Amino acid sequence: MSDLQPVQTDHASVSRRRFLKVAGGGVAGSSLLTMLDARKAPAQIKGTTLRILQWSHFIPAYDAWYDKFAKEWGDKNGVKVRVDHIPHLDIPARMAAEFAAGAGHDIIYNGSSILTRLYYKNLVDLTDIADAAGKKYGGWIPAAKSLVEVEGRWYGLPLFYILAPMLYRKDLFDANNLKYPDTWELARVAARTLKPKGHPTGIALSQCADANLFWRSMFFSFGGTEADPSGANPTLDSKELREFLRFAKAIFEEGMTPEVFSWDDASDNRYLASGIACWVHDAISAYRTTEDTNPEVFKNTFLGLEPQGLPVKRVSVAAPNVWMVWKFSKNQQAAKEWLSYLLDNDLVGMVESRGYNMPYLNDRYKKPMPVIGTDPKLQILQDFPKIVAFYGHPGPSTTPIQEIVNTFIFPDMVTRVCRGKESIEESIKWGVGEYRRIYAKHKQA
Amino acid sequence: MTVRSSSGGPDAASARAAAISVASRARPSGWFRSQTSQRLGAGYLLLAPAVLYVLLLVGAPFLFSLYLALSDANVGEPVATFVGLENFRAALESDVFYIALRNSIVFTVVAAIFKGLLGTTLAFLLLQPFWGRKLVRGLVVIPFTLPVTISVLSWKWMYDSQFSVINWFLSRIGLVGSYGSPDWPVWLGQPHLALAACIIVNVWRSFPFSAIVLLAGFTSVPTEILDAARVDGTSFFQRFRYVVVPMIAPILLIGFLFDTVFTLSDLSIVYLLTQGGPANATKILPVLAYQVGIQAGALGRGAAISLFLFPLLLPLMILLLRNLKRRED
Repeated sequence: MSDLQPVQTDHASVSRRRFLKVAGGGVAGSSLLTMLDARKAPAQIKGTTLRILQWSHFIPAYDAWYDKFAKEWGDKNGVKVRVDHIPHLDIPARMAAEFAAGAGHDIIYNGSSILTRLYYKNLVDLTDIADAAGKKYGGWIPAAKSLVEVEGRWYGLPLFYILAPMLYRKDLFDANNLKYPDTWELARVAARTLKPKGHPTGIALSQCADANLFWRSMFFSFGGTEADPSGANPTLDSKELREFLRFAKAIFEEGMTPEVFSWDDASDNRYLASGIACWVHDAISAYRTTEDTNPEVFKNTFLGLEPQGLPVKRVSVAAPNVWMVWKFSKNQQAAKEWLSYLLDNDLVGMVESRGYNMPYLNDRYKKPMPVIGTDPKLQILQDFPKIVAFYGHPGPSTTPIQEIVNTFIFPDMVTRVCRGKESIEESIKWGVGEYRRIYAKHKQA
Repeated sequence: MTVRSSSGGPDAASARAAAISVASRARPSGWFRSQTSQRLGAGYLLLAPAVLYVLLLVGAPFLFSLYLALSDANVGEPVATFVGLENFRAALESDVFYIALRNSIVFTVVAAIFKGLLGTTLAFLLLQPFWGRKLVRGLVVIPFTLPVTISVLSWKWMYDSQFSVINWFLSRIGLVGSYGSPDWPVWLGQPHLALAACIIVNVWRSFPFSAIVLLAGFTSVPTEILDAARVDGTSFFQRFRYVVVPMIAPILLIGFLFDTVFTLSDLSIVYLLTQGGPANATKILPVLAYQVGIQAGALGRGAAISLFLFPLLLPLMILLLRNLKRRED
């Protein structure tokens, strides 16, 4: 109300000094706002060097675009940008080495294994950028903050995640009167029907990222949870876990072959592209590989939403990607400017990655989205953000969860059941025991 | 007037000795100028780089990992607190640790046996005179010199569950069924086969090294001795067992020691092929230590796991080095 009252001004009391102060402040403030609005970086970063360490993207063209895009931004703002790409599995070791040395890159990337909680005391608080982007683009999808938020502050910026839909062979499904795999039960029926005809299915049961992600998707869709919402306590041991493991054993025995015990993250791509698989649950890299290598199979490959475990229960565990800034960085301002710019342009990144990179900001999901919104087969991916979750669901990505993920306890538990050498209860006893042991160690520390 | 002999006489000699004795007490630095001390000094000086090397590159990291293993250090905390033997206890509580320990021993022992057998055979073959011997001697070390990532990724392709060239070959000669049949080997998916697959890659990479070490030893055995043994009517195996092996024992022992250390601490092959899967069937201690210590960030526990390699290696090293010393004496 008071804002609407006319301001009484005493013209006589406005000195020249005060006038210059107020006017100067106003000019400076408005130019800062204009600059931020136009995303023009401040002059202080001119002449600095920004070093970025990140993974080698599964879509090589994305890396080529990223490097060029970063250089162009650098040239425009007088910043020398250097981008180094390494395999994502090497990132944790590199991060540990840079932290120990107190030197290295300014910006560091985490993929799949998100180490925010391990390093947050040594990372720059990026809450301001996250808040600004959230305000500008309709907020963040619900799962985003679980990756980077510690004690109410954001120590990383989630830029994109990688989805894993169902990819199924419509020609095989139609020829055998099988229904679209909208539930895990329907997917099981399809695999059971098509395996004897030479078209089994497969989800990796080895020690690789896919195994960690996809079996969790199934488990969470059956109503299971890994930790409580605070992330402090494991909640694995449940009737949902038993139900899920019974189902996993059945779907393995009826619809898969022992090949899945040896798979790496690219094996299911090859399985689909070779024309063997009736369906796979994988990132759209499998779709793209098939597009590039087997046009006939590609023509009949369709995508489906994450299948339901329990009625209407769909949870899709995605591979997150997060960028962080070291506290030891001497160029934090340029790092923040670049990350803001990158967030503003995440849809360009989505295009350059052929629809692989899914954004975390709500407004980006206005239909039609680039690439996936224009391809009728991929349009279904636009409905994923509501069901996306990450490791530790429904809790955050805590340090015990990172150890559990990195030592493959969850897929190992499923493997022990599927091998048939142990009963479900024996495998649960082992898996739950490992969870409790790791949680206890971290609590003690 | 006292006449002095040319030699100085007994009095003069005792006087000189006394003078030297007094002088030596007064100037101890004289000892440092002696030939013995100079030889000793030069010896220590020449040894110093090696001692420094061992202290800096072996001793310091070892002590640092001991410090980490006794602390609650993690990758994001620069300050750690002392926790005693807690990390070792934590390792012993996990059954994955015992699986990794067992696999490490099996991996090292089986690989050593095959490297010994294949290395010896190859060394004997390379001793024989044949056309292009020098070229072949150069070529056999290729597996050892190739970057481990490239060679292991090639093997990964050869072990692929769907497109394995090994399986294709075995299928063509009728030893296994076709793709999809129950006897189609899934190299990296069946527990025993997966461990065997990792051992095969390790043997393939390292046996040329064993062969080269043995070859160096064999060529140092004088042919006269072998000829004399031959004249005495010894068989090939008797000459090998009673003449060659005792003569090249120091080379054999050092080679064996090196190979055991390299194999036991080899992270790359298993990590790149299986990451320790399926269900820990190929997990070895270095891989477990890396996953817990670096990837999961629990440096203290990772260091404790890796230090379990030390008591495994220590008795072996003592035995081998004592044996070597006895032979030298």
